[in-house]
Amino acid sequence: MRATILCNIVSKVETAKPNRCAMKNLFQLFLLLAIVTSCVTDSSDPYERFPFDGTGYRPIYKTAEEMAKIEVIGAQPLAKPGKIYVLEPYLFINESGQGIHIVDNSDPKNPKNISFISTIGNYDMAAKGTFLYADNLTNLVVFDISNPKAPRLTKTVPNAIPVNNYPPFDGVYFECVESKKGIVTGWEKVPMSERPNCSR
Amino acid sequence: MKKFAPFIFFGLVILGLLLILNSCDDGRNDSASNPQTGAGGSMARFAITGNTLYIVSKQALEVYDIGDGGNPVKTVQKDMGVGIETIFPYRDNLYVGAMDGMYIYDNSTPRDPKLLTKYQHIQSCDPVVVQGKYAYVTLRSGVACRLGNTPSSLDVVDVTNPAQPQMVHTQRMTSPYGLGISGNKLFVCEGALGLTLFDITDPAVPVFKQTFAELPAYDVIARGKHLIVTGEKGLFQFRYDDADKIEFLSKIPVL
Repeated sequence: MRATILCNIVSKVETAKPNRCAMKNLFQLFLLLAIVTSCVTDSSDPYERFPFDGTGYRPIYKTAEEMAKIEVIGAQPLAKPGKIYVLEPYLFINESGQGIHIVDNSDPKNPKNISFISTIGNYDMAAKGTFLYADNLTNLVVFDISNPKAPRLTKTVPNAIPVNNYPPFDGVYFECVESKKGIVTGWEKVPMSERPNCSR
Repeated sequence: MKKFAPFIFFGLVILGLLLILNSCDDGRNDSASNPQTGAGGSMARFAITGNTLYIVSKQALEVYDIGDGGNPVKTVQKDMGVGIETIFPYRDNLYVGAMDGMYIYDNSTPRDPKLLTKYQHIQSCDPVVVQGKYAYVTLRSGVACRLGNTPSSLDVVDVTNPAQPQMVHTQRMTSPYGLGISGNKLFVCEGALGLTLFDITDPAVPVFKQTFAELPAYDVIARGKHLIVTGEKGLFQFRYDDADKIEFLSKIPVL
């Protein structure tokens, strides 16, 4: 191949008229192009950044009313424990995206799961004295925990925390977020028959 | 009896003083160990020091005054680059982990932290804990954190002068998440792989001791000799001693 290319260059320099060497190289170039184009995927979009594998992320929406529905219920079992915060004698355990378990840890050998604050879009918390601070999607919410069996929501600070309009991954396709549908609380990976319009 | 009263009184005073002085822990773990404010794990986006609540949102550090506990009032917002993830307050500084580095703030005026410097690293998810002169940062690659095949690592950064952090040590890790530190022990959560224990008797050089593979771990809080670990199997508590003995206390399992 190299010899023919070299040959081609040399022949072009020496003479302008086509000769057997140049023809051979042209034929090989055509062959190469034919092979390469046959490997291209059948996506018709020239802007596809990476292959679409038939799955993508779909936003999970909640309305502002649903987001504001914060309630305290009895102790719940742990399903997807996330971050933790200690304020003796209590242990706060985040249930990823769902709320906060309150555990009485006065005896670490025998922790007691005493209540659960159901809070949509909750991933973090911190506490001081008799107050617990947590995120509720874009809100910062404050609970009075002087009675940890019955925490009371005392304040909501809106627009405290920005929310991403894309899933927390790179190299994925996803349905573009439409704000009229509500606020994005999470993402689910689903099979998609068509490649969605957004990607990152 | 009257004659002895002053002696008894002074005896009690001295006893009381001794108890108070001894109840301070070894002083090496003074990261947010104030009993009033408690402590979060290294993966936290929320942190409290004194009367201030810090929230790291995706692109900024938000500061709230919580002098009136039930009524947080925003004092200042510090815009940063994108991909801000974690915050760890330590003494007069705030260590903020971001996708492309670690921001170090001077927090001597809590309501208005001042950026000192940014310790840069390759793009990754990186919680950080600090003890004494050193910050320990785990850098994790992986689809949500960094594209490509570069390995994850544990970096030790000398922050004696927080305005001029210097990396003094790095070692590869498989899949590090949160970390916890107390005394001469550094705990690194490795997700499904378990919880890894390092000896940091030489704080600049963590020495691998073992990985508890049966304990999937996402984040950990180490306070005094008490360890609280959270992961996909649930919440586990342990007590450990100065040797490497770790005693299981309890668990709240994921059913």
